Amino acid sequence: MTSPARSIDRSCGPSGCEVDWLSSERHEASDDITAFTRWATERGWGDGLPLVPPTEGRVRAFLARCARFPDEIVAELPPLRGECTVEKIAVNAVMAGADPAAMPVIIAAIEAMSRPEFNLAALNATTGSVVPAVIVNGPVRDELAIPYEVSCLGGAGGGAPAIGRAIRLVMRNLAGQAAGITSQSVFGTPGRLAGIVFGEWEEQSPWAPLAQRRGVAGNAVTVYGAMGTTNICDVIADNGRSLLEFIGKGLAYHGANGMLPSSAFCELFVAFNPIWAKMIAAEYPGVEDVQQVLWETASLPVSSFPDGYDAGLVLSRRHGDRVHVAQSPQDVIVTVCGGMGNLHALSMPSWGDTKSVTAAIQ
Amino acid sequence: MVLVLDPTLAPLADSGGSGPDAGTLAGKRVGFRVDILWRSWDWVSDEWARLAERDGAEVRFWRARGRTGDEGDAMLKELDDFLAGVDIAVVGLANCGSCTSWTIHDALRAASTGIPTVAVCTDHFKDLAGTLARRGGRSALRRHVLPYPLDTLQEAEVRDIARAQYRPFLRTLGV
Repeated sequence: MTSPARSIDRSCGPSGCEVDWLSSERHEASDDITAFTRWATERGWGDGLPLVPPTEGRVRAFLARCARFPDEIVAELPPLRGECTVEKIAVNAVMAGADPAAMPVIIAAIEAMSRPEFNLAALNATTGSVVPAVIVNGPVRDELAIPYEVSCLGGAGGGAPAIGRAIRLVMRNLAGQAAGITSQSVFGTPGRLAGIVFGEWEEQSPWAPLAQRRGVAGNAVTVYGAMGTTNICDVIADNGRSLLEFIGKGLAYHGANGMLPSSAFCELFVAFNPIWAKMIAAEYPGVEDVQQVLWETASLPVSSFPDGYDAGLVLSRRHGDRVHVAQSPQDVIVTVCGGMGNLHALSMPSWGDTKSVTAAIQ
Repeated sequence: MVLVLDPTLAPLADSGGSGPDAGTLAGKRVGFRVDILWRSWDWVSDEWARLAERDGAEVRFWRARGRTGDEGDAMLKELDDFLAGVDIAVVGLANCGSCTSWTIHDALRAASTGIPTVAVCTDHFKDLAGTLARRGGRSALRRHVLPYPLDTLQEAEVRDIARAQYRPFLRTLGV
C-alpha cells in the first residue's frame, strides 16, 4: 500500500531514478549531536538519550537497505493512526543510531505489532508497564549482531539496543505514544527506552526455532507484549520434570495480568538457558509436552485468592479448583537463549489481552 | 546547520462533530456498552438504565470482552449488531489506559453511525479520552466525566453517585 497522493512512475524501483521520494517536512538544525538532541527534545521527538540528526543523506542510506518504496505505508499505529511509511521509519531509525542494515528487521517488527491481534491500541495506552519484546530468528541474528548468548536481553551490546530504540521512537513519534498524554503507564518500564530485542540460540535449542514452530522459517521476528522480565533461579533440580514444574510454578503469581477479569486471554513466555533446555528435552523431546507441563503448573488454587476475588477470576482459565494464567498449552511460548552459566530461566509476564505475532523479515 | 527530516506525523483531520442530540428518551432504544473490568460501571449503568426506563426508554446492554484474535473480530461484529439495534449509545468505562482506548474506539464507531453517542470516563482519564477522540478525528465526541477513583468505593456509594450524575449525564447526551 502506498500513499494515494503519490501516484508516480515506480518502474525505476525504490532507488527512485529522478524521483525525490522524501516527503517529510524539513527543518534547519545543528548537525552537532548535543545541540540537535536539545533542539529535538524541545520538539518532543526524543527519549532522553542523544539523537542522531536525520539528514537527507543519512535517511537515504537507510532507505537504500530495504527494497521498499519510501512512501509505502507499513502500518497505521495507534493512537495517532497516521500513515507510518518506510520513510518515517527510516527517519526515526537514523535518530536512534541504528544500523541501516537493520531496516528490514525494524519494519517487520512494526508490521507485526500493527496486526489487530497484538492489540497495540491498548498496549500503547494502558496503565500497565508493557513493552513489545522482539525475538529474532534466522541468520539475520548474526548479520546484525543481535545477541542470543550470554546477557542477550541486556548488556551484551551488539545491534539490538539501537533496533529496539528505533522501534520505541516510532511508537513515540509516529504512533503518538506519549507518557501522561496517551500512555497512562503508571510506572513505565526500562524497556520503553531501547526495547527488548534478542535472538533465539537456535543452534543450542533441542527444538525447532520459535518462528518456524509458528509457521515462519528463516529470518523472522516474533513480537510479544511483555511486562518486563522475571528471573527464575534453581539449584536443586536434577531432572527435567522437577525443573520444568518448578519453573512453571514460578510463572503464576497473584497480580499477574493473566489473572485479571479484563484479560480474556493471556500468554506465557519462558526462555531456557541451553543447559536447562537439554536437560528438559531429555525427558520432553517434544516442545508440545514442555508447553503442557508449563501450562499445568502455571496455576494457582482458587482458595489462595482473598475473599471477593473468586468472582472476578476468568472462568475460561479456571479448571477445577485452580486458575491457570494461560488458556491453553498452545499459549505457552518457549525459547532457548542466554549464557552457559546455567541456574536461571527467564520469563516475561504477558500484559494479557494481546496475542504474539510472528512475521517474516523481507 | 543542516536540514533534518521531521520524524513525526500530522494528526488526522478533525472532521467529526459531536453528533446529534438525543432529544427525548421516551420511545428510544438506549444501548449501554459495558465491559468485563469495572464493576463500578456495571452499577452506574444499572442505575442509569433504570432511570432511563422510568423516562420511557427501552434499554439494551452489550458487554465487550476480549479484543484480540478471533474473539476480537467477534467483538467488532457484536458491537456493530448492537449499534444497529439502538437509537442512543452510552459507551464506558474509560477508567484505565487500555480501557479508555477501547471505550473511545467503540464510541467513535458508534458516533460514525450517526446516532447520539456519549463516552463515559472517570476524571483521571478524561484528558486521555479527549486526546484519543481528537486523534480519532472527532474531538467533539460527547464525554461524560464521573468522579475518580470510583472502583474503590462501596456499591452503595457508587450507586449514589450514579443517581446524582443522571441529570448531568442527560445534559451531556443532549436530552
